[in-house]
Amino acid sequence: MEERADGRTQNQLRPLACSHSILNRAHASASWSQGDSKVLAAVYGPKAGTKKNENPEKACLEVIWKPKTGQIGKLEKEYEMILKRTLQSICILSMNPNTTTSVIIQVVNDDGALLPCAINAACAALVDAGIPLKHLAVAICCCLMESGHVILDPTKLEEQKMKAFTYLVFPNSVLSVLSEGALSVNGEPIEHGIITSVTHGLMSVNDYLRCLERGRAASSKLSAFLRRSLQSQLRNDSSRTA
Amino acid sequence: MEVQTPASPSGFIDQLVVPGDMVLDLTTLSNQTIKLGGGLRQDGDAISVIKAGKLRFSKPNKYWVESSQKRYVPCVEDTVLGIVVDCKADNFLIDIKGPTLAFLPVLAFEGGTRRNIPKFEVGALLYVRVVKANVGVNPELSCTDASGKAAEFGPLKDGYMFETSTGLSRMLLSSPPFPVLEALGKKLSFEIAVGLNGRVWVNASSPSTIILVSNAIMNSESLSGVQQKIMVEKLLQRVQ
Repeated sequence: MEERADGRTQNQLRPLACSHSILNRAHASASWSQGDSKVLAAVYGPKAGTKKNENPEKACLEVIWKPKTGQIGKLEKEYEMILKRTLQSICILSMNPNTTTSVIIQVVNDDGALLPCAINAACAALVDAGIPLKHLAVAICCCLMESGHVILDPTKLEEQKMKAFTYLVFPNSVLSVLSEGALSVNGEPIEHGIITSVTHGLMSVNDYLRCLERGRAASSKLSAFLRRSLQSQLRNDSSRTA
Repeated sequence: MEVQTPASPSGFIDQLVVPGDMVLDLTTLSNQTIKLGGGLRQDGDAISVIKAGKLRFSKPNKYWVESSQKRYVPCVEDTVLGIVVDCKADNFLIDIKGPTLAFLPVLAFEGGTRRNIPKFEVGALLYVRVVKANVGVNPELSCTDASGKAAEFGPLKDGYMFETSTGLSRMLLSSPPFPVLEALGKKLSFEIAVGLNGRVWVNASSPSTIILVSNAIMNSESLSGVQQKIMVEKLLQRVQ
Protein backbone atom coordinates (compact mmCIF):
# COMPACT_ATOMS: atom_id res chain seq x y z
CA MET A 1 0.00 0.00 0.00
CA GLU A 2 1.53 3.26 -1.10
CA GLU A 3 1.90 6.08 1.41
CA ARG A 4 0.27 9.33 0.33
CA ALA A 5 1.87 12.66 1.16
CA ASP A 6 -0.79 13.66 3.68
CA GLY A 7 -0.95 10.23 5.32
CA ARG A 8 -4.28 9.12 3.83
CA THR A 9 -4.93 5.62 2.59
CA GLN A 10 -5.75 5.07 -1.07
CA ASN A 11 -9.50 5.11 -0.57
CA GLN A 12 -9.69 7.84 2.01
CA LEU A 13 -11.38 11.15 1.22
CA ARG A 14 -10.29 14.49 2.61
CA PRO A 15 -12.40 16.14 5.34
CA LEU A 16 -15.66 17.43 3.83
CA ALA A 17 -17.48 20.60 4.82
CA CYS A 18 -20.70 22.00 3.41
CA SER A 19 -22.73 25.07 4.33
CA HIS A 20 -26.01 26.31 2.88
CA SER A 21 -27.59 29.76 2.43
CA ILE A 22 -24.40 31.68 3.05
CA LEU A 23 -24.90 34.48 0.51
CA ASN A 24 -27.39 37.21 1.34
CA ARG A 25 -28.45 38.36 -2.11
CA ALA A 26 -28.42 35.06 -4.00
CA HIS A 27 -31.65 33.08 -4.04
CA ALA A 28 -29.72 30.09 -2.75
CA SER A 29 -26.09 29.28 -2.17
CA ALA A 30 -23.81 26.57 -0.88
CA SER A 31 -20.13 26.15 -0.25
CA TRP A 32 -18.39 22.80 -0.46
CA SER A 33 -14.86 22.05 0.59
CA GLN A 34 -12.84 18.87 0.29
CA GLY A 35 -9.69 19.41 2.31
CA ASP A 36 -8.27 22.67 0.97
CA SER A 37 -10.27 22.79 -2.27
CA LYS A 38 -13.21 25.09 -1.73
CA VAL A 39 -15.95 26.15 -4.14
CA LEU A 40 -18.86 28.53 -3.65
CA ALA A 41 -22.03 28.04 -5.72
CA ALA A 42 -24.90 30.52 -6.02
CA VAL A 43 -28.27 29.92 -7.69
CA TYR A 44 -30.54 32.62 -9.07
CA GLY A 45 -34.01 31.82 -10.31
CA PRO A 46 -36.08 30.37 -11.79
CA LYS A 47 -36.58 33.62 -13.69
CA ALA A 48 -38.93 34.17 -16.60
CA GLY A 49 -37.66 33.78 -20.15
CA THR A 50 -35.19 31.48 -21.87
CA LYS A 51 -32.20 32.22 -24.06
CA LYS A 52 -32.45 32.37 -27.83
CA ASN A 53 -31.60 28.86 -28.96
CA GLU A 54 -33.08 27.01 -26.01
CA ASN A 55 -36.28 25.00 -26.04
CA PRO A 56 -39.06 27.10 -24.42
CA GLU A 57 -40.95 23.99 -23.35
CA LYS A 58 -38.27 23.14 -20.82
CA ALA A 59 -36.54 25.00 -18.05
CA CYS A 60 -33.14 26.31 -19.08
CA LEU A 61 -30.03 26.06 -16.90
CA GLU A 62 -27.13 28.43 -17.27
CA VAL A 63 -23.74 27.94 -15.60
CA ILE A 64 -21.10 30.60 -15.11
CA TRP A 65 -17.69 29.55 -13.83
CA LYS A 66 -15.51 32.16 -12.19
CA PRO A 67 -11.90 31.12 -11.63
CA LYS A 68 -9.93 32.29 -8.63
CA THR A 69 -7.47 34.32 -10.73
CA GLY A 70 -6.93 35.03 -14.37
CA GLN A 71 -9.20 35.50 -17.33
CA ILE A 72 -11.93 33.16 -18.44
CA GLY A 73 -10.59 30.79 -21.08
CA LYS A 74 -11.27 27.45 -22.72
CA LEU A 75 -10.84 25.42 -19.55
CA GLU A 76 -13.52 27.43 -17.78
CA LYS A 77 -15.87 27.06 -20.75
CA GLU A 78 -15.29 23.31 -20.69
CA TYR A 79 -16.10 23.14 -16.99
CA GLU A 80 -19.26 25.19 -17.60
CA MET A 81 -20.38 22.78 -20.32
CA ILE A 82 -19.76 19.68 -18.19
CA LEU A 83 -21.56 21.21 -15.21
CA LYS A 84 -24.48 22.31 -17.34
CA ARG A 85 -24.99 18.85 -18.81
CA THR A 86 -24.65 17.16 -15.42
CA LEU A 87 -27.08 19.50 -13.67
CA GLN A 88 -29.55 19.33 -16.55
CA SER A 89 -29.74 15.58 -16.16
CA ILE A 90 -30.69 15.79 -12.49
CA CYS A 91 -33.21 18.65 -12.76
CA ILE A 92 -36.80 18.00 -13.73
CA LEU A 93 -36.89 20.38 -16.67
CA SER A 94 -40.59 20.06 -17.44
CA MET A 95 -41.71 21.63 -14.17
CA ASN A 96 -40.94 25.29 -14.89
CA PRO A 97 -41.04 25.72 -18.68
CA ASN A 98 -39.76 28.91 -20.22
CA THR A 99 -37.64 29.89 -17.23
CA THR A 100 -33.90 30.23 -16.71
CA THR A 101 -32.01 29.21 -13.61
CA SER A 102 -28.46 30.56 -13.31
CA VAL A 103 -25.80 28.71 -11.34
CA ILE A 104 -22.65 30.70 -10.63
CA ILE A 105 -19.56 28.85 -9.44
CA GLN A 106 -16.78 30.78 -7.75
CA VAL A 107 -13.52 28.96 -7.09
CA VAL A 108 -12.24 29.96 -3.68
CA ASN A 109 -9.27 27.64 -3.55
CA ASP A 110 -8.00 24.95 -5.90
CA ASP A 111 -6.15 22.07 -4.25
CA GLY A 112 -7.02 19.20 -6.55
CA ALA A 113 -10.35 17.59 -7.57
CA LEU A 114 -11.81 21.00 -8.44
CA LEU A 115 -14.56 19.94 -10.83
CA PRO A 116 -16.06 17.28 -8.51
CA CYS A 117 -15.98 19.83 -5.69
CA ALA A 118 -17.86 22.29 -7.92
CA ILE A 119 -20.44 19.69 -8.95
CA ASN A 120 -21.12 18.84 -5.30
CA ALA A 121 -21.41 22.53 -4.41
CA ALA A 122 -23.78 23.21 -7.34
CA CYS A 123 -25.99 20.27 -6.39
CA ALA A 124 -26.16 21.44 -2.76
CA ALA A 125 -27.07 24.95 -3.95
CA LEU A 126 -29.84 23.62 -6.22
CA VAL A 127 -31.29 21.72 -3.25
CA ASP A 128 -31.14 24.91 -1.18
CA ALA A 129 -33.01 26.76 -3.94
CA GLY A 130 -35.85 24.26 -4.03
CA ILE A 131 -35.39 23.52 -7.74
CA PRO A 132 -37.22 20.22 -8.47
CA LEU A 133 -34.63 17.46 -8.81
CA LYS A 134 -34.97 13.79 -9.75
CA HIS A 135 -32.18 12.84 -7.35
CA LEU A 136 -28.92 14.34 -6.13
CA ALA A 137 -25.50 14.02 -7.74
CA VAL A 138 -22.27 13.22 -5.90
CA ALA A 139 -18.94 13.61 -7.67
CA ILE A 140 -15.59 12.04 -6.98
CA CYS A 141 -12.16 12.12 -8.59
CA CYS A 142 -10.21 8.89 -9.01
CA CYS A 143 -6.72 8.90 -10.36
CA LEU A 144 -4.25 6.35 -11.56
CA MET A 145 -0.69 6.73 -10.32
CA GLU A 146 2.46 5.66 -12.14
CA SER A 147 2.66 2.58 -9.93
CA GLY A 148 -0.76 1.41 -11.08
CA HIS A 149 -2.60 2.20 -7.82
CA VAL A 150 -5.96 3.94 -7.90
CA ILE A 151 -6.32 6.75 -5.37
CA LEU A 152 -9.34 8.88 -4.53
CA ASP A 153 -9.63 12.63 -4.05
CA PRO A 154 -6.10 13.74 -5.03
CA THR A 155 -4.49 16.96 -3.86
CA LYS A 156 -2.87 19.29 -6.38
CA LEU A 157 0.58 17.77 -5.85
CA GLU A 158 -0.77 14.25 -6.38
CA GLU A 159 -2.66 15.42 -9.49
CA GLN A 160 0.53 16.70 -11.05
CA LYS A 161 2.31 13.37 -10.58
CA MET A 162 -0.40 11.05 -11.83
CA LYS A 163 -0.70 9.13 -15.06
CA ALA A 164 -4.45 9.57 -15.67
CA PHE A 165 -7.56 10.63 -13.78
CA THR A 166 -11.28 10.44 -14.08
CA TYR A 167 -14.09 12.51 -12.61
CA LEU A 168 -17.16 10.40 -11.88
CA VAL A 169 -20.63 11.61 -10.93
CA PHE A 170 -23.15 9.19 -9.45
CA PRO A 171 -26.74 9.55 -8.23
CA ASN A 172 -27.10 9.65 -4.47
CA SER A 173 -28.13 6.76 -2.24
CA VAL A 174 -31.85 6.95 -1.59
CA LEU A 175 -34.03 5.87 1.30
CA SER A 176 -36.96 3.95 0.05
CA VAL A 177 -40.06 2.09 1.16
CA LEU A 178 -39.89 -0.10 -1.92
CA SER A 179 -38.00 -3.36 -2.02
CA GLU A 180 -34.55 -3.36 -3.58
CA GLY A 181 -35.76 -5.18 -6.65
CA ALA A 182 -38.23 -2.49 -7.62
CA LEU A 183 -35.60 0.23 -7.57
CA SER A 184 -32.92 -1.39 -9.66
CA VAL A 185 -32.36 -1.03 -13.35
CA ASN A 186 -31.22 -4.23 -15.06
CA GLY A 187 -30.33 -5.83 -11.76
CA GLU A 188 -28.10 -3.03 -10.51
CA PRO A 189 -29.11 -0.51 -7.85
CA ILE A 190 -29.77 3.05 -8.98
CA GLU A 191 -26.71 4.58 -7.38
CA HIS A 192 -24.44 2.47 -9.55
CA GLY A 193 -25.52 4.49 -12.55
CA ILE A 194 -23.07 7.03 -13.92
CA ILE A 195 -24.30 10.53 -14.63
CA THR A 196 -21.02 11.95 -15.90
CA SER A 197 -17.55 10.58 -16.53
CA VAL A 198 -14.63 12.74 -17.66
CA THR A 199 -11.25 11.16 -18.22
CA HIS A 200 -7.83 12.62 -18.91
CA GLY A 201 -4.67 10.74 -19.68
CA LEU A 202 -4.06 7.18 -20.68
CA MET A 203 -5.68 4.34 -18.75
CA SER A 204 -6.62 0.80 -19.69
CA VAL A 205 -10.21 -0.46 -19.57
CA ASN A 206 -9.46 -2.55 -16.47
CA ASP A 207 -8.04 0.48 -14.69
CA TYR A 208 -11.15 2.47 -15.59
CA LEU A 209 -13.38 -0.27 -14.19
CA ARG A 210 -11.33 -0.30 -10.98
CA CYS A 211 -11.77 3.48 -10.71
CA LEU A 212 -15.53 3.02 -11.17
CA GLU A 213 -15.65 0.47 -8.38
CA ARG A 214 -13.74 2.66 -5.93
CA GLY A 215 -15.77 5.68 -6.93
CA ARG A 216 -19.06 3.91 -6.29
CA ALA A 217 -17.95 2.84 -2.83
CA ALA A 218 -16.95 6.39 -1.96
CA SER A 219 -20.13 7.93 -3.38
CA SER A 220 -22.24 6.37 -0.63
CA LYS A 221 -20.11 8.19 1.98
CA LEU A 222 -20.58 11.47 0.11
CA SER A 223 -24.36 10.87 -0.09
CA ALA A 224 -24.54 10.25 3.64
CA PHE A 225 -22.54 13.42 4.32
CA LEU A 226 -24.82 15.52 2.09
CA ARG A 227 -27.89 14.13 3.83
CA ARG A 228 -26.44 14.94 7.28
CA SER A 229 -25.57 18.48 6.26
CA LEU A 230 -29.13 19.03 4.95
CA GLN A 231 -30.44 17.63 8.23
CA SER A 232 -28.50 20.15 10.30
CA GLN A 233 -29.62 22.94 7.98
CA LEU A 234 -33.23 21.87 8.47
CA ARG A 235 -32.78 21.82 12.21
CA ASN A 236 -31.26 25.34 12.16
CA ASP A 237 -34.18 26.72 10.16
CA SER A 238 -36.92 25.33 12.32
CA SER A 239 -35.51 25.19 15.81
CA ARG A 240 -38.90 26.18 17.22
CA THR A 241 -41.24 23.36 18.06
CA ALA A 242 -44.40 23.73 16.01
CA MET B 1 -29.54 2.20 -0.22
CA GLU B 2 -31.57 1.72 2.91
CA VAL B 3 -34.87 -0.06 2.60
CA GLN B 4 -37.70 0.53 5.04
CA THR B 5 -39.95 -2.49 5.36
CA PRO B 6 -43.08 -1.18 7.14
CA ALA B 7 -46.16 -1.25 4.98
CA SER B 8 -47.11 2.27 5.94
CA PRO B 9 -44.82 5.19 5.18
CA SER B 10 -45.01 6.38 8.78
CA GLY B 11 -41.25 5.90 9.03
CA PHE B 12 -40.69 8.96 6.85
CA ILE B 13 -43.32 11.33 8.26
CA ASP B 14 -41.74 14.38 9.95
CA GLN B 15 -38.29 13.31 8.78
CA LEU B 16 -35.88 14.94 6.39
CA VAL B 17 -36.28 13.62 2.86
CA VAL B 18 -33.97 14.46 -0.03
CA PRO B 19 -34.70 14.38 -3.78
CA GLY B 20 -34.77 10.81 -5.02
CA ASP B 21 -36.22 9.20 -1.88
CA MET B 22 -39.24 6.98 -2.54
CA VAL B 23 -41.61 7.56 0.35
CA LEU B 24 -44.83 5.82 -0.56
CA ASP B 25 -45.52 2.55 -2.25
CA LEU B 26 -48.87 2.80 -3.98
CA THR B 27 -49.30 -0.95 -4.33
CA THR B 28 -49.37 -1.44 -0.54
CA LEU B 29 -52.09 1.14 0.01
CA SER B 30 -55.65 -0.03 -0.21
CA ASN B 31 -57.88 1.65 -2.77
CA GLN B 32 -57.67 5.18 -1.52
CA THR B 33 -57.02 8.47 -3.22
CA ILE B 34 -54.12 10.41 -1.76
CA LYS B 35 -53.48 14.09 -2.32
CA LEU B 36 -49.92 15.19 -3.04
CA GLY B 37 -48.76 18.67 -2.18
CA GLY B 38 -45.54 20.44 -3.11
CA GLY B 39 -42.30 18.52 -3.29
CA LEU B 40 -43.71 15.11 -4.22
CA ARG B 41 -44.48 13.46 -7.52
CA GLN B 42 -45.70 10.14 -8.77
CA ASP B 43 -43.09 7.85 -10.29
CA GLY B 44 -44.94 4.83 -11.60
CA ASP B 45 -45.95 2.82 -8.55
CA ALA B 46 -44.27 4.97 -5.95
CA ILE B 47 -44.24 8.54 -4.76
CA SER B 48 -40.81 10.13 -4.92
CA VAL B 49 -39.47 13.33 -3.43
CA ILE B 50 -38.31 16.21 -5.64
CA LYS B 51 -37.47 18.85 -3.00
CA ALA B 52 -35.53 18.46 0.22
CA GLY B 53 -37.48 19.15 3.39
CA LYS B 54 -39.63 17.57 6.08
CA LEU B 55 -42.29 15.15 4.92
CA ARG B 56 -45.67 16.02 6.42
CA PHE B 57 -48.93 14.15 6.58
CA SER B 58 -52.39 15.44 7.37
CA LYS B 59 -55.32 13.11 7.90
CA PRO B 60 -56.96 11.63 5.97
CA ASN B 61 -54.78 11.55 2.89
CA LYS B 62 -52.61 14.62 2.30
CA TYR B 63 -48.82 14.39 1.93
CA TRP B 64 -46.43 17.23 1.24
CA VAL B 65 -42.83 18.31 1.78
CA GLU B 66 -42.35 21.38 3.93
CA SER B 67 -39.31 23.52 3.14
CA SER B 68 -38.34 27.16 3.26
CA GLN B 69 -36.90 29.00 0.29
CA LYS B 70 -36.38 32.57 -0.83
CA ARG B 71 -38.44 32.09 -4.01
CA TYR B 72 -42.12 31.25 -4.11
CA VAL B 73 -44.05 28.50 -5.92
CA PRO B 74 -47.52 29.87 -6.76
CA CYS B 75 -50.45 27.88 -5.30
CA VAL B 76 -54.17 28.53 -5.64
CA GLU B 77 -55.86 30.38 -2.73
CA ASP B 78 -52.58 31.79 -1.37
CA THR B 79 -52.55 35.44 -0.34
CA VAL B 80 -49.40 37.19 -1.51
CA LEU B 81 -47.86 40.63 -1.76
CA GLY B 82 -47.11 41.58 -5.35
CA ILE B 83 -45.31 44.51 -6.94
CA VAL B 84 -46.67 46.05 -10.15
CA VAL B 85 -44.19 45.73 -13.00
CA ASP B 86 -46.26 46.86 -15.97
CA CYS B 87 -49.81 47.85 -16.96
CA LYS B 88 -51.32 46.34 -20.08
CA ALA B 89 -54.76 46.78 -21.63
CA ASP B 90 -56.31 43.74 -19.98
CA ASN B 91 -53.97 42.87 -17.11
CA PHE B 92 -51.50 44.30 -14.69
CA LEU B 93 -48.20 42.38 -14.67
CA ILE B 94 -47.26 41.64 -11.07
CA ASP B 95 -44.04 40.24 -9.67
CA ILE B 96 -44.76 37.71 -6.91
CA LYS B 97 -41.24 36.22 -6.54
CA GLY B 98 -42.24 33.19 -8.57
CA PRO B 99 -40.74 31.67 -11.72
CA THR B 100 -42.88 33.91 -13.96
CA LEU B 101 -44.77 37.19 -13.66
CA ALA B 102 -48.42 36.96 -12.65
CA PHE B 103 -51.41 38.60 -14.32
CA LEU B 104 -53.99 40.67 -12.41
CA PRO B 105 -57.03 41.31 -14.63
CA VAL B 106 -58.08 44.98 -14.60
CA LEU B 107 -61.63 43.97 -13.72
CA ALA B 108 -60.73 41.75 -10.75
CA PHE B 109 -61.73 44.36 -8.16
CA GLU B 110 -64.92 44.84 -6.20
CA GLY B 111 -67.35 46.70 -8.46
CA GLY B 112 -64.76 46.76 -11.24
CA THR B 113 -65.98 47.87 -14.66
CA ARG B 114 -64.23 49.16 -17.76
CA ARG B 115 -65.00 52.70 -16.60
CA ASN B 116 -63.31 52.60 -13.19
CA ILE B 117 -60.07 50.71 -13.81
CA PRO B 118 -57.66 51.51 -10.95
CA LYS B 119 -54.45 53.28 -11.88
CA PHE B 120 -51.39 51.70 -10.30
CA GLU B 121 -47.90 53.07 -10.72
CA VAL B 122 -45.02 50.75 -11.55
CA GLY B 123 -43.68 49.66 -8.17
CA ALA B 124 -46.96 49.78 -6.26
CA LEU B 125 -47.40 47.10 -3.59
CA LEU B 126 -50.63 45.09 -3.70
CA TYR B 127 -52.16 42.48 -1.40
CA VAL B 128 -53.69 39.92 -3.76
CA ARG B 129 -55.02 36.38 -3.87
CA VAL B 130 -53.83 33.70 -6.32
CA VAL B 131 -56.72 32.40 -8.40
CA LYS B 132 -55.04 30.15 -10.94
CA ALA B 133 -51.60 28.56 -10.81
CA ASN B 134 -50.73 25.96 -13.41
CA VAL B 135 -47.47 24.65 -14.81
CA GLY B 136 -46.25 26.60 -17.80
CA VAL B 137 -48.90 29.33 -17.60
CA ASN B 138 -48.55 32.68 -15.84
CA PRO B 139 -50.48 32.65 -12.53
CA GLU B 140 -53.63 34.72 -12.30
CA LEU B 141 -54.41 36.96 -9.33
CA SER B 142 -57.43 38.77 -7.99
CA CYS B 143 -58.11 41.65 -5.60
CA THR B 144 -61.39 40.18 -4.39
CA ASP B 145 -62.16 37.14 -2.28
CA ALA B 146 -64.12 34.18 -3.63
CA SER B 147 -67.48 35.93 -3.21
CA GLY B 148 -66.42 39.12 -5.02
CA LYS B 149 -65.94 41.41 -1.99
CA ALA B 150 -62.82 43.54 -1.56
CA ALA B 151 -61.94 42.00 1.84
CA GLU B 152 -58.73 44.00 2.53
CA PHE B 153 -57.18 43.15 -0.86
CA GLY B 154 -55.76 45.98 -2.94
CA PRO B 155 -52.94 48.52 -2.73
CA LEU B 156 -50.98 48.99 0.51
CA LYS B 157 -50.11 52.63 1.10
CA ASP B 158 -47.22 53.97 3.21
CA GLY B 159 -45.43 51.58 5.52
CA TYR B 160 -42.36 49.48 4.79
CA MET B 161 -42.01 46.17 2.93
CA PHE B 162 -39.21 43.67 3.46
CA GLU B 163 -38.49 40.19 2.13
CA THR B 164 -38.19 37.01 4.15
CA SER B 165 -38.17 33.31 3.36
CA THR B 166 -41.41 31.46 2.68
CA GLY B 167 -40.94 29.44 5.89
CA LEU B 168 -40.91 32.55 8.06
CA SER B 169 -44.04 33.97 6.41
CA ARG B 170 -45.85 30.68 7.05
CA MET B 171 -44.78 30.84 10.71
CA LEU B 172 -46.03 34.45 10.96
CA LEU B 173 -49.44 33.35 9.72
CA SER B 174 -49.70 30.27 11.92
CA SER B 175 -52.13 29.89 14.80
CA PRO B 176 -51.44 30.00 17.75
CA PRO B 177 -49.87 33.38 16.98
CA PHE B 178 -46.13 33.75 16.45
CA PRO B 179 -44.48 34.70 19.78
CA VAL B 180 -42.74 37.78 18.32
CA LEU B 181 -46.01 39.23 17.02
CA GLU B 182 -47.75 38.53 20.31
CA ALA B 183 -45.01 40.16 22.35
CA LEU B 184 -44.82 43.20 20.06
CA GLY B 185 -48.59 43.54 19.94
CA LYS B 186 -48.81 43.86 23.73
CA LYS B 187 -46.67 47.02 23.78
CA LEU B 188 -46.90 48.60 20.33
CA SER B 189 -49.65 49.29 17.86
CA PHE B 190 -48.87 48.53 14.23
CA GLU B 191 -50.45 47.12 11.09
CA ILE B 192 -48.96 44.15 9.27
CA ALA B 193 -49.64 42.28 6.03
CA VAL B 194 -47.89 38.96 5.40
CA GLY B 195 -47.63 37.42 1.94
CA LEU B 196 -47.01 33.70 1.63
CA ASN B 197 -44.46 34.52 -1.06
CA GLY B 198 -41.98 35.82 1.51
CA ARG B 199 -42.91 39.50 1.64
CA VAL B 200 -44.03 41.34 4.78
CA TRP B 201 -45.44 44.90 4.98
CA VAL B 202 -45.45 46.84 8.25
CA ASN B 203 -47.11 50.19 8.95
CA ALA B 204 -47.26 52.19 12.17
CA SER B 205 -47.66 55.80 13.24
CA SER B 206 -43.94 56.45 13.79
CA PRO B 207 -40.93 55.27 11.73
CA SER B 208 -39.10 54.00 14.82
CA THR B 209 -41.96 51.60 15.57
CA ILE B 210 -41.88 50.34 11.98
CA ILE B 211 -38.12 49.76 12.17
CA LEU B 212 -38.41 47.99 15.52
CA VAL B 213 -41.14 45.64 14.33
CA SER B 214 -39.32 44.85 11.06
CA ASN B 215 -36.03 44.10 12.80
CA ALA B 216 -37.75 41.93 15.39
CA ILE B 217 -39.43 39.83 12.69
CA MET B 218 -36.29 39.52 10.57
CA ASN B 219 -34.23 38.34 13.54
CA SER B 220 -36.77 35.80 14.75
CA GLU B 221 -36.47 33.13 12.10
CA SER B 222 -34.13 30.78 13.89
CA LEU B 223 -35.09 31.52 17.50
CA SER B 224 -37.33 29.44 19.74
CA GLY B 225 -40.46 30.91 21.36
CA VAL B 226 -38.74 31.83 24.61
CA GLN B 227 -35.71 33.34 22.84
CA GLN B 228 -38.05 35.45 20.71
CA LYS B 229 -39.78 36.91 23.77
CA ILE B 230 -36.41 37.79 25.32
CA MET B 231 -35.23 39.42 22.09
CA VAL B 232 -38.40 41.53 21.82
CA GLU B 233 -38.07 42.65 25.45
CA LYS B 234 -34.48 43.76 24.85
CA LEU B 235 -35.47 45.72 21.75
CA LEU B 236 -38.37 47.40 23.53
CA GLN B 237 -36.15 48.34 26.50
CA ARG B 238 -33.73 50.09 24.21
CA VAL B 239 -36.49 52.29 22.81
CA GLN B 240 -38.34 53.12 25.99
